[in-house]
Amino acid sequence: MSAIPSPTPPAAAALPLAGIRVVDVATVIAAPYCATVLGEFGADVLKVEHPLGGDALRRFGTPSARGDTLTWLSEARNKRSVTLDLRHPDGRHLFERLVEQTDVLCENFRTGTLEKWGLGWERLRAINPRLVMLRVTGYGQTGPYRDRPGFARVAHAVGGIAYLAGMPKGTPVTPGSTTLADYMTGLYGALGVLLALRHRDATGEGQYVDAALYESIFRCTEELAPAYGMYGTVRERHGSSHNDFACPHGHFATRDGKWVAISCATDKLFARLAQAMGRAELASSSTYGEQKTRLAHCHDVNEIVRDWCGSLTRQEVLARCYATATPAGPLNDIADIFGDRQFHARRNLVAVDLAETGETIVCPAPVPLLSETPGSIRSLGPKLGEHTDEVLRDLLGLGDDEIAALHARRVV
Amino acid sequence: MRAAAPPPAAPSASTAPRPLDGVRVVDVGNFLAGPYAAAVLGEFGAEVLKVEHPIAGDPMRRYGTATPRPDATLKWLSESRNKKSVTIDLRQGEGVAIFRRLLERSDVLIENFRPGTMEEWGLGWKDVHAVNPRLVMLRVSGYGQTGPYRRRSGFAHIAQAFAGLNYLCGFPGETPVLPGTVPLGDYIASLYGAIGILVALRHRERTGRGQLVDVAIYEAVFRVLEEIAAAYGLHGTVREREGAGSFVACPHGHFRAGDGKWLAIACTTDKMFERLAEAMEQPHLASSGLYGEQRRRLAARDTVNQLVGEWVAARPREGVLARCLAHEVPAGELNSIADIFDDAHFQARGNLERVHAPDVGDVVVPGVVPRLSATPGRVTHLGPTLGDATDAVLGTLLGLADDELARLRHHRII
Repeated sequence: MSAIPSPTPPAAAALPLAGIRVVDVATVIAAPYCATVLGEFGADVLKVEHPLGGDALRRFGTPSARGDTLTWLSEARNKRSVTLDLRHPDGRHLFERLVEQTDVLCENFRTGTLEKWGLGWERLRAINPRLVMLRVTGYGQTGPYRDRPGFARVAHAVGGIAYLAGMPKGTPVTPGSTTLADYMTGLYGALGVLLALRHRDATGEGQYVDAALYESIFRCTEELAPAYGMYGTVRERHGSSHNDFACPHGHFATRDGKWVAISCATDKLFARLAQAMGRAELASSSTYGEQKTRLAHCHDVNEIVRDWCGSLTRQEVLARCYATATPAGPLNDIADIFGDRQFHARRNLVAVDLAETGETIVCPAPVPLLSETPGSIRSLGPKLGEHTDEVLRDLLGLGDDEIAALHARRVV
Repeated sequence: MRAAAPPPAAPSASTAPRPLDGVRVVDVGNFLAGPYAAAVLGEFGAEVLKVEHPIAGDPMRRYGTATPRPDATLKWLSESRNKKSVTIDLRQGEGVAIFRRLLERSDVLIENFRPGTMEEWGLGWKDVHAVNPRLVMLRVSGYGQTGPYRRRSGFAHIAQAFAGLNYLCGFPGETPVLPGTVPLGDYIASLYGAIGILVALRHRERTGRGQLVDVAIYEAVFRVLEEIAAAYGLHGTVREREGAGSFVACPHGHFRAGDGKWLAIACTTDKMFERLAEAMEQPHLASSGLYGEQRRRLAARDTVNQLVGEWVAARPREGVLARCLAHEVPAGELNSIADIFDDAHFQARGNLERVHAPDVGDVVVPGVVPRLSATPGRVTHLGPTLGDATDAVLGTLLGLADDELARLRHHRII
C-alpha cells in the first residue's frame, strides 16, 4: 500500500478546461461521471445536492468512516458541494442564477421533472443561450419508454449485452460490473459536451445532449445489428470464448487455481501459442493451422489449451506465452492489481488521505493520460454542502444574512 | 434473407453544421481500439483518412461476418463509417515521407501499433510532433506507451482480463465469462481516446501546441470499476463474481419469464422492493418482519430470488413488465438482437439505421451516440473500399501528379 503514490500535482500548463463551470445536479454515476471527467481536466464542478441527504451515491456501496461511501469519495473528486432544494421556489430561483453563470449543466432526473419545476431546456436556454446541457435517463428524452425508470442493470439488458454474457443456454449474468452503463454513458456524455462546447465557442449557440443508458451499451455491440439485419443471425451467449470468429479465445484455469485469458484472433497468433505449448505441429496446415479448422474443432482445440494451462502455474503459462508473443494475460482480481508492476509504473492507483478520518482512499487515476495537460485529482468527494456558503457568496453575491436565512428555511 | 422489419431509412441525413467540420484525422490503426475514436470524430464532421497497407488493408476488413464484398465484413462496414481509405506502405521509406506530408496537413493522428513500431518507422511522438507541432496524437495499446508490459500484445479480451473486469463476470466459483461482447474494452478505450483528443484540441486552440494522448485499454476498463480499488485498499475486500445478481442489492438480477424470455429487475432500495411486492400482489413480503429491509433480503437472497423467480416464471415477459412498470419497479427486457429489431423504442429513437453499401446492399448499423440537439452526428457512408480516396487525397491534398501516383502504385508504395 505504501507503494501507491499520492496524486500528481496539476501540470504547470493551465488545464484545458480551466474557466469552464459545470453544474452537476445529477445523482449516482452516469451524468455525474461526465462532470468528473470535465473536473479532472480543470473545469470547476459545482455539485448541486438536496440539503437533506444529498446525492444517493453518498450511500451507495462501502461507507467510509466519514459516512460517505468510497465510490462517492472517489467519483465526486474535485467537485464542490452546494446544497439547494429545487422543490422550493427560492431554491429554483437561486438555481437559475447559477445557470446564468454556467457553461455546462449535467442532470439525470426522470423525464419531465425539470420541466415540472419550470427548469426545462427551453427555460434554461432562455436564461443562458450559451448553455450546454447533458440530460441522462435510462431511455432518453423521447420514445415510448422515456418515462420508465432506468438503471444500469436494466440498460445492460435492454441494450443487448446482458443477453450475451454467460454460459450458452445458461442464465445471463451481469457483464462484470453493475454500473458499466453508467460509466459508458458518462463517457458518451462528456464526448457530447466537449463537442457542444466546441460548437458553442464557434457560434455562441448552446445545445443539449440527450443520452440514454441503453444506447451507450447498444452502440458498443459491434456487428450484432448488421449481422441480424443481413442474415438473421441472433448471437447467443458464448461463455468465456468467442466461438464465432476465433479459436482458441477464452479463459483457462491454471494449476494454481488462477485464470488466464488467451486470444488467438489469427493463424499467426495460434502458431505462436502452439510454439509456446511446445507443440508447433498443431499449427501445421494438416492439423489446426487454419482458423476455419480450429473453429470446426473448437471443442478439441480448447481442450488441448485447457490441459496445457491446467498443467502449469499461471506464471509459467504466461511466461511461455509472452516468450512467443502470444496474446495472453492474467484474469486479475483486485488483489493481483494492487501487486502488479504495470499498474504501479503507470500510476493507475493513487492514494489520497482523508484528513477527517485518517483513512487512505485508493482511487483510479484520471484516464486518458495527456502529455501536456494531464488530468488531476485535487480533492476527494466533498462533504454535503461543504461549499454552499462560498458559492452563494462569491458567485451569486449573497450576503451573510441572506445565506443564514436560506439555511434556516432549509432552501440550502 | 431478411429477418427483421425495416427500420426507418437513415434519419441522420442532414446538412446541419457539425462541430468538427474542418478537422482532419489520420487513422492508421487496425481493428477498433483507436479507430472507433476516429469513427466518432467522423460522425461529428471530421474528415477521417484511414491509412492502410496497399495490399492487405486493415485486418478488420476480414474479421467478422462476411459480405458479398471480399474486402469488407459487416464489422468493417459499420465501424469504418464515414472514413476515406488511403493506401500507403509505412514499411517503405517513400511511404513514410508521403505520410509525413499528410501529417503536416492534419489535426489528429490515431494509431494502435505495438509500442515502438511507429518509432521504428520514424513516426514516434517526437518525430510527428516535429513534423507538425499542432498535431494531436492518440496512441492506444493494450498496456500503454510506458511501463514494463508496454511491448506485450494486448487485445481487448486480454486487456479486459488484466483490468479486472473479466474476473468479475460469471457465477461465483465458476469459469469467468466474457462481459457480453468481446471488444468492449476497445470501445471504452476509444471513448477515452476521443475525449482526450477533444480536450487536447481545445488546449491547442489556445496555445498552438499539440500533445500526446496515451490510452491503455486495460487502464480505460479499470477506470470504470467504481469502488473496487478503494474497497480493497481500505478493507482488503476482493470483489468476486456476482453471477446474475449483485452483492449490494436484492432482488437485482435476471429472471426468466413463462415464455422463456428473460428480463432484468433492479430493486436497489427498500422502496423499490415494496413496489415490486405490490406488483407481485404479495405486499406482505415488504413488511419489516419479512424482507422489507435490504439487509434482510441480502441475508435471505436465495429465498427472495426464488419468490421473485416463481412469480416471473408464471407469466409471459410482457405481463411481468407491464405489472412492474405500472408499479414503477425498475425492470426491462433482456433483449436479444431479434428483440431489439422489434422494439418500438429502438425504432422511435432511430437507434438502427439502414445505410446502403455499394455491392453489398442495405446494412443496418447502430446509429450515432451521443445525440446532440443542434449539431447531430450522422452516418454518411459505410466502410470504404481499399484505397478509394488514395488518388483524391494524395493528388488534391499533397499535389502529387498522375504519373507520380502511377509510379508509387507500381512500386506498391500506395
